[in-house]
Amino acid sequence: MRRTIIQNTGIGKPRNGLLSKCAMQSCSMSASSGNNAINLFCMKRLLKITFCAVFILLLSSVDAWSQTAQIVRGRLSDKKTGEPVIGATVAEVDGDNRIIGGTASDINGDFIYKVKNTGNKLQISVIGYRSKEVAPSFSGAMSIAMESSDIEIDAVTITGQRQASSGLTNVEERDKASSSVKLELIEMQEAGVTSAADALQGKISGLDIISSSGDPGSGSQIVIRGLSSIGNNKPLIVIDGVPQDRVSSDVDLSSADDEDISNMLNIALQDIKSIEVLKDAGATAIYGSKGADGVLLIETRKGKMGDVRFEYQYKHSLNVQPPAIPMLNGDEYIMLQLEQLHNARGVFDLPREIAYDRDFDDFYNYSANTDWLGEITQNATTMDHYFALSGGGDKTRYSASFSYLDEEGTTINNRFNRFSTRINLDYILSKKLMYTVLFSYTNSGTDKNFIFNEGQGDNEKNIRKMAYTKAPNMSVMEHDRDGNLTGEYFNPINSYQGNGSDYFNPVAVGRLSKNNKREHSLETTFKLRYMLNESFIFRQTVSFQYSGSKTNKFLPYNAMGIDWINWQVNKTEESNNIWSAIRTESQFAFNAPFEDTKIHDLSGAISWSTNQSGSEWMNFQSNRTASIDLQDPASDAQINWIGSGSGESREMGLSFNLNYKFLDRYMAQFNARADANSSFGKNNRWGLFEGISLGWRFSDEPFLDGADWLGESKVRVSWGTSGRPPSDPYARFGLFTSSGDYVRNSAIIPNSIQLDNLKWENVESYNAGFNINMFKDRLYLEGEFYSKKTTDISFGFYSIPYSSGFTQLRFYNGGEMANKGWELMVTYKAIKKKDMDLSFNFNTSHNVNSFTKLPDNFNNEKSTSIGNGEYPRRIVEGEPIGSFFGFEYLGVYAKDEDAYAKDADEKLIYDAHGDPVPMTYMGTYTFKGGDAIYRDRNHDGKIDLNDVTYIGDSNPDFTGGFGASFTYKNFDVSVSFYYRVGFDIINGIAIKTEGMNDKNNQSKAVLRRWRVEGQNEPDLLPRAYENHPCNNLGSDRYVEPGDFLRLNNLKIGYKVPKNICKTLHVDRMNLAFSGRKFLTFTKYSGQDPEIGQDASDPFWIGVDEARTPPSIMSTLSVSIFF
Amino acid sequence: MASLCSCSDWLELLPPSGLTREEFWKSKEDVEAVLMGGYRSFASLDNLMFLHGEARADLITDDVNTDEAVRKMMNGNIYSDNWLSNWENFYKVINYCNEVINNAPDVQKIDKTFTDYQLKGLTSEAYFLRGLAYFYLVRIFGDVPYVTTASETDDTDFYPEKISGDSILNYVTADLMTAKGFLSDDYLMVMELKGRASKEACEALLADIALWQFRYQDVITHTDAIIAAKKHELLPASRWFENYYPGNSEESIFEFQFDDNDPNQRNNMYGMTNTNANNIDPSKKAIEMFGRLYSDEPFRGDDEHTISKNSEDNYTIWKYVGMAPDGKTTRASVIQNSANWIVYRYAEVLLMKAEALSQLQRFTEAAELLNDIRDRAGVPKLALPSSAVAYEDAILEERALEFAFEGKRWFDLVRMGRRNDFARKDKLVEIIISNVPSTQKRILGSKLTNPQGWYMPIYKYELERNLNLVQNSYYKE
Repeated sequence: MRRTIIQNTGIGKPRNGLLSKCAMQSCSMSASSGNNAINLFCMKRLLKITFCAVFILLLSSVDAWSQTAQIVRGRLSDKKTGEPVIGATVAEVDGDNRIIGGTASDINGDFIYKVKNTGNKLQISVIGYRSKEVAPSFSGAMSIAMESSDIEIDAVTITGQRQASSGLTNVEERDKASSSVKLELIEMQEAGVTSAADALQGKISGLDIISSSGDPGSGSQIVIRGLSSIGNNKPLIVIDGVPQDRVSSDVDLSSADDEDISNMLNIALQDIKSIEVLKDAGATAIYGSKGADGVLLIETRKGKMGDVRFEYQYKHSLNVQPPAIPMLNGDEYIMLQLEQLHNARGVFDLPREIAYDRDFDDFYNYSANTDWLGEITQNATTMDHYFALSGGGDKTRYSASFSYLDEEGTTINNRFNRFSTRINLDYILSKKLMYTVLFSYTNSGTDKNFIFNEGQGDNEKNIRKMAYTKAPNMSVMEHDRDGNLTGEYFNPINSYQGNGSDYFNPVAVGRLSKNNKREHSLETTFKLRYMLNESFIFRQTVSFQYSGSKTNKFLPYNAMGIDWINWQVNKTEESNNIWSAIRTESQFAFNAPFEDTKIHDLSGAISWSTNQSGSEWMNFQSNRTASIDLQDPASDAQINWIGSGSGESREMGLSFNLNYKFLDRYMAQFNARADANSSFGKNNRWGLFEGISLGWRFSDEPFLDGADWLGESKVRVSWGTSGRPPSDPYARFGLFTSSGDYVRNSAIIPNSIQLDNLKWENVESYNAGFNINMFKDRLYLEGEFYSKKTTDISFGFYSIPYSSGFTQLRFYNGGEMANKGWELMVTYKAIKKKDMDLSFNFNTSHNVNSFTKLPDNFNNEKSTSIGNGEYPRRIVEGEPIGSFFGFEYLGVYAKDEDAYAKDADEKLIYDAHGDPVPMTYMGTYTFKGGDAIYRDRNHDGKIDLNDVTYIGDSNPDFTGGFGASFTYKNFDVSVSFYYRVGFDIINGIAIKTEGMNDKNNQSKAVLRRWRVEGQNEPDLLPRAYENHPCNNLGSDRYVEPGDFLRLNNLKIGYKVPKNICKTLHVDRMNLAFSGRKFLTFTKYSGQDPEIGQDASDPFWIGVDEARTPPSIMSTLSVSIFF
Repeated sequence: MASLCSCSDWLELLPPSGLTREEFWKSKEDVEAVLMGGYRSFASLDNLMFLHGEARADLITDDVNTDEAVRKMMNGNIYSDNWLSNWENFYKVINYCNEVINNAPDVQKIDKTFTDYQLKGLTSEAYFLRGLAYFYLVRIFGDVPYVTTASETDDTDFYPEKISGDSILNYVTADLMTAKGFLSDDYLMVMELKGRASKEACEALLADIALWQFRYQDVITHTDAIIAAKKHELLPASRWFENYYPGNSEESIFEFQFDDNDPNQRNNMYGMTNTNANNIDPSKKAIEMFGRLYSDEPFRGDDEHTISKNSEDNYTIWKYVGMAPDGKTTRASVIQNSANWIVYRYAEVLLMKAEALSQLQRFTEAAELLNDIRDRAGVPKLALPSSAVAYEDAILEERALEFAFEGKRWFDLVRMGRRNDFARKDKLVEIIISNVPSTQKRILGSKLTNPQGWYMPIYKYELERNLNLVQNSYYKE
């Protein structure tokens, strides 16, 4: 390695000072430009300056050269075999171990080098050999024997450097006094999981992970310690010290919240070394404004010193969907429809489609027994290849991996594939200076089906929803009048159910439509670590992130039943998103130079970080392209909408932490961070977040010396605050926009309200916990109690009265929400022998959420609509967010005479004429035999809004998991269970498939319906009745307990014995079979009880819509190390 | 950290699109642009001004494409979830006017070219527009919130209570009395002259408000001011249709402008009333008034001026789609939806005055004005008995003939119904139920005996948003 060398002495502090000054200057420079058009320029400048500073630092590491130079020659050979050592680095190092110059040995192991200073030494290093340092000899060829390094040596640590996991503090794991859990992932990699979220599910107390859908690539929802905000619960994910948060701007049509999280976590599972979850604000305060929902610290694999090691893993999985809800077949459907029409109308004209009329042209098309759900469901396979190599000498360590994942969905035409690569490189330039380069690239593609009215809640229509709805007497493929197949999908413009665009053929849309997204993301991080002296370390990190995605959608005309002249024909859409960010972090870490760190130990760090990110999007939609082969929206089609937007966001933070330890038993940690964000105006811009944690390692107290059974144990308390910024960086501005002309003068109108009161959403939390090791580390207990309070809750799109001239405030801060609970984790190692290991683990957490204070002027009733399938939506002070309100369903009136109003004592109520008062729905419909009974709570003979009451809650009482692992010789077995109990689900599918009042298909449950007067059986469903006003009201009939216990993972592994490995010329080889979600114990009648709590609409949480349930997955894997 | 201050500027990121409030309100052009935004937004309410003025009255009826909410309004089945009871767009206009009124004085301090005269002129136009918006709100809803501060920041009080319609109209009257002195008459373009508030437009609005409040002497004062100005005149009968096409006639005082040169500035009326819309049709009563078989109206009716006949039972409102008074020549496709929305024309000034005079028992003068209008329409003069009721009926009928489908009828009926402490409530009920399906007649007849039911309910979602509002008592359970 040759470099220009400059004279430089007195490096260190001043240089680093220069660096931070550079960063500052760049701030002021962009400020002087003060215009967003120049922002990009400023960004570049900041970049340049940072680069500049890094470069100067690099150079400064290279010390002065001196007077003389002489030539040295030599030959390197293996000490044992005598063979030449090729490609070894021969470096000249000075007294400070800085590299001055160097060369490499050639194919014969020879090298020749001109020494800069004869006083320097030569350091020879090569992978697979121990490094060697020799004094140069100029009196002839040197002969140097290299000793191979078969023995693996632990990662080199720079002396005096604390190896804190990652992130902004440098507290050792064992000294942490706040609540955090670290999970080593290496051990889980062979289980049949494809994502980090999957691996974490049920493993860590207080961490609630819900798969958002079983469609490949669709991600998960992660909630730490309960919902603490409205709509915006996202833990901060930090990978190798680099935060992965994205700030969206404008209306980004194509981004879904859950998918964002999955993308951030979208790294090959095998690359993850460990995940640490920071749960309380004592720990998250250091992440300031982003830490309110907890922090996930992910560490990826690093290279280790030693021979180059190769690893290859192949996983093959079979994915099967859990059994579907049985739906009526065609004949049952027709019978139901006839009964529905008869009950409602008496005499009616028989529609030809359900008349079994052989003269009807479409007879064959309407007399099928189609299982629509079955038609769109498939068994799928997943392939996962992973290849990694790693190794290192004492100067460099590297780890590189490549992986390819191809996952088929259990819904037709759903697929996810991902290519990713990750390279971690550490280079130790000298004892004082080290730099690290992290590089990762991911290219992923998600294929889905076309979704109608995407993102429009109840109006959203996907093929799965349609499969539940579609008449089963219709055939998938079209028949001619003689019953021969025509080869086309059967997609009539009008059917018995309705028009062909509302009731499309789900198989046709599934097979013919396109909804593909391809995303590239790239991240490069440079880290530099410089030891100023024994006590001070300077670290500099610069990270670049880029991601771009493109979505193409196409819905050909033949996928729906519409005319060629319909405006919706050949719908096409393309959208592009680009996002990029630059982050910098400069840190001074220090250790107080106490003689004996056993008595006093003081350390800390000051960090300065900046983050700027920008995004752009473009969306182009058109209809009516000229042919189904013209799928480009720009292909001379009828343009429906074109939109684009961009946004930028900047943040900076100054954080400080101090850790003090006395006698290695008493720990105190203090974290503080001042954060500023461009989302806020000057008045509210800076937020201060603090955390204090105290710990006592009581097990080391002298008075417990005799207690041998007690291992290292501690108790801790902590307090802290953290925040959450608004998601839209421009929300605070009141904007004026052009509204065209009036009488040829241009017109401008205000179109948003300036937010002077926009502030951080604030979370304050208290935590008390313990970690106890007993019986020689055989039993480990960890417990937490916490209380968390969110104040100034940030409500997005907060409705305000129309009399303001507007409909909403982009954000409004108000109200308070509390989460209280406890968590427990237990690990018990029952057997610990040479050939056999058996251990159990268990964890549980309990959280109680409540809306303690509603904002002023807040209407806690969002909708008072009642009607079939409609639930009034309310938030009640003191009740948890995600509570359900509706009627109480009491069964079915057996006969007409039963439907009379009763008072509190179950006695009939009589009117002025002495006649019993009939029971009515809102005074307009009188209940009859076969109708649903609802509790008349106020005994007025009328079922109306006054009878609505609290009927359930979507917050689980307990969540957690337990498992066991057993190793015997070469075999190992592990099981892990996952449970959520004490929560309710609104079975949205049942509402649509058990109502029997429209033309949608219904589930087999309706076969148990009331049919004749007087029929009185338990669990009878109401009668079939077309357009019944109230047989299907939002009631507790559809609120079901969602409790479940699930065998999440089962793994059986086998280590191929050493001797076989040897004959195969590999180091190690493992085989494993694993199963995911093999067994589920639940009373829930829907397809899957794992329903997320999407809090974006606080009034409507925990409803089971027609999503693809997570699949049952069996995986075979083979891992080879060589 | 001394450089934190400069970092504070680094954090100042402006949105890539749109003007921020901090950058705005710097010149008189900004003031004028927002005022134009107010006019333009008000103009886009033409469908609402039409429906609120006609749907519940007797001159229009529904067709296959009629919006369900409109149909319900026509039949008197009005509930608080009917979107027509959403006052959002009126308050939008009010907010734009408030912006102008609140900010223009500060702009003058920055912009030295902004003269006092211009400032007064522009704010007076804003007062006029705001007054007109409140006048519509009071006539539609009765009591409404009176908002006079702009919703500039989130410190604004967004939760006002209702106040009585009468006191709102008193405030509006006071504003207009000041404003009329500053309103300009010297616009160069006709579309500005007719499309922006003028002195006479202000007087007409004052007269209309006074008439609504039964202050007859004031009506006469304000209408006389317009007559004395001699800037407007009744068009001769042969040119009567020029009021609608091309519009901006000598008779016109104030009309919201739509521009055939601007594809974004089109009205909503055309979409409801064109020949193929099958949405809003003339009622049976309107056909009797204007259709060839029944009408004795040679210019306003006669099957081609006010309505046109497409087939035996199919008539179209011709005022917004016709190009000539022949019932055949529709407007050319490029200008199809640029018909202006007429707020006041000279004929109405005369009839307002006639109404006031007759209520003050000055029958001869009233008869003269009424007959001026009849004369121009080519129908025989009326000789009426000297009774306020006879004149009231005659003027009501005359207004229906003259201003059919111009969004006046319902308000005329309510004014009559309210007069003299609801003395002629029954007449109003009788007229209205003549135009509803027979099944509705009895129910609606009894419903409408409560005058609170003549006003629209407060929109359900507005009640949910503003807990300080109280629903119109008629619509409470």
